[in-house]
Amino acid sequence: MDTISNMLYGFQVVLTFQNILFVFIGVLAGTLIGMLPGLGPISAIAIMIPLSYGMDPASALILMAGVYYGAVFGGSTSSILLNAPGISGTVATSFDGYPLAKQGKAGKALAIAAISSFAGGTVSVVALMLVAPLMASFAVSFGPTEYFALMLLGLTAIASLSEGSTVKALISATIGLIIATIGVDQQTGTQRFTFGNPNLLEGIDFLIIALGLFALAEVCSLILSRKSKMMDGNSNVGSLKITRQEAKEISGPIARHSVLGFILGVLPGAGATIASFMSYITEKKISKDPSSFGKGNIKGLAAPETSNNAATSGAFVPLLTLGIPGSGTTAVLLGALLVVGVQPGPLMLTDHPDVFWGVIASMYLGNLFLLVLNLPLIPFIARILYIPKALLISLVIIFCMIGVYGVSFSTFDLYLLLAFGVMGFIMRLLNFPAAPLILAFILGGMMEQSFRQALTISNGSYVTFFDSTVTVVLLILSLLSLTLPIIKSKLSKKTAEEEKEHLAS
Amino acid sequence: MLASVERKVAIVLLLISILYLFLSFQLPAFPYAIVDADALPKGLGFLLAALSILLFILNPTEDRKKSDIKKDEVLMLLAVSGLIFVYILLFELLGFVIVTILFLLVTSRMLGYTKRKTLIAVSIGFTLVLYFSFNYLLQIYLPQGPLPF
Repeated sequence: MDTISNMLYGFQVVLTFQNILFVFIGVLAGTLIGMLPGLGPISAIAIMIPLSYGMDPASALILMAGVYYGAVFGGSTSSILLNAPGISGTVATSFDGYPLAKQGKAGKALAIAAISSFAGGTVSVVALMLVAPLMASFAVSFGPTEYFALMLLGLTAIASLSEGSTVKALISATIGLIIATIGVDQQTGTQRFTFGNPNLLEGIDFLIIALGLFALAEVCSLILSRKSKMMDGNSNVGSLKITRQEAKEISGPIARHSVLGFILGVLPGAGATIASFMSYITEKKISKDPSSFGKGNIKGLAAPETSNNAATSGAFVPLLTLGIPGSGTTAVLLGALLVVGVQPGPLMLTDHPDVFWGVIASMYLGNLFLLVLNLPLIPFIARILYIPKALLISLVIIFCMIGVYGVSFSTFDLYLLLAFGVMGFIMRLLNFPAAPLILAFILGGMMEQSFRQALTISNGSYVTFFDSTVTVVLLILSLLSLTLPIIKSKLSKKTAEEEKEHLAS
Repeated sequence: MLASVERKVAIVLLLISILYLFLSFQLPAFPYAIVDADALPKGLGFLLAALSILLFILNPTEDRKKSDIKKDEVLMLLAVSGLIFVYILLFELLGFVIVTILFLLVTSRMLGYTKRKTLIAVSIGFTLVLYFSFNYLLQIYLPQGPLPF
């Protein structure tokens, strides 16, 4: 009953002209930016942050959340039409979406993607509404040791689940923590690594790092690929009609992967990419005709599309209730919330119920807007893919510049932005994932604070980290999340060797 | 032995960690703090050093996609970075409007956009819309420069 009255309050927050407009702007901007190959939700949110300055916190988060799930939604369009996923969470969408487009069924594929995303998004918003308050009430009892262990788990999970080498991901996370130590230490007032520069006293703003590592680094990649056309002449998407038989066929995957996607979204480190791949693989495994996957099977399209949107809403659970982002994107969202003066966490439910319930209610509306936008308007929206890259690159650079200048009104930060852009590009070339860095940077200050608070309370005794069962469990899970990839890679190597030997004999 | 890029990166990271550790040990001590301001930096310095050594030993080259960027593309990247640098240098001096229009014209042209009329229209239109939206709608004041508005 409580949840229903809280949701009604949430709708009261959202259903004002201003907030409805923000939901619409958010999902539209997210869809457009997410559609552009490379510019994913992190860049989309970071680019939109300057617009939130001066907004009230609920409206700001409603806008940003709209941009987030809008970008995930938009990413599927370029996956289907161009086989060039806008974001990593829609890579699996292209496996069957693009073959369908090649068969002249792009409209059908886009319609299936839109309906699956809507269903996945809506189911997981309901789950978010039910799970989040429970999680928050559990987390209220958390002390510094529990918080420290929880943040450590978030960090190790995202590092170990990143693509490629775990060592590289851990190095990225460590560099993120190192950058977080720049500035005045909050507890002792000591200046750390400022080199006497007053611009560094408050540390480096997260927006500089987010825009540099993601948007500017993407600009560098766009420069390298600028000669390739974004879209191959054919803008005819064909009929959007789905037959009754097809609707029946996709209802199973939609139901299954709404739940799976949500659960994977809640887990730290997993997120939309892993959720979509897991769903695709699961659907292929349980299918009676797995060989049709990758050739335009509508189930292979519906499963990842449902899952990535469900995971997006799921990722809001740890963000809103614990104040712990589980991915790079939610880390940027957390930064955006801090900019407007809201500290997410278990107390957010009581301190800022308008933000908490407002954003959940806005997701119902946002999903509806996305369905309306993406079904009849898709052929028109897809025209954004015609923007010449040479022009797009310059425009993105200007957006990044204004975004950073608007925070501090200092050109020093613009130089830092350029430096982080170069660093982000080098990291990409060397396969160092950027998400652990931004997550570690965001969590760094909070982690250090919890760690020192815990030790101050215990008078310097490290035994305090083993006093609470929750802390111990979380620490064990962190350790497991680090060791699992090593065990997994050793096992897969062993299996590969055994297979080789078997073939040789 | 140092042939792989990963190993060279590992050495650079190790050097960075040594420099960071050196700076961490220079941090002043606070007499009443149970955990002082230098505790975390020292820990992170040692952690980065350990991970750099691990990167050197494991040498995970297999996951790196071969990126053969052509020389002229590297020059283009450097040129755009140079233009961004000049943009920042002139940002407050010439003001947002002038410097942004110039930047959009030069950068887009350099990157290969040839439609002159569209480029001029987009550069001026985009800049003015942004400037007036930020200055008057969002109350975020961008540098005015010598212009009267």
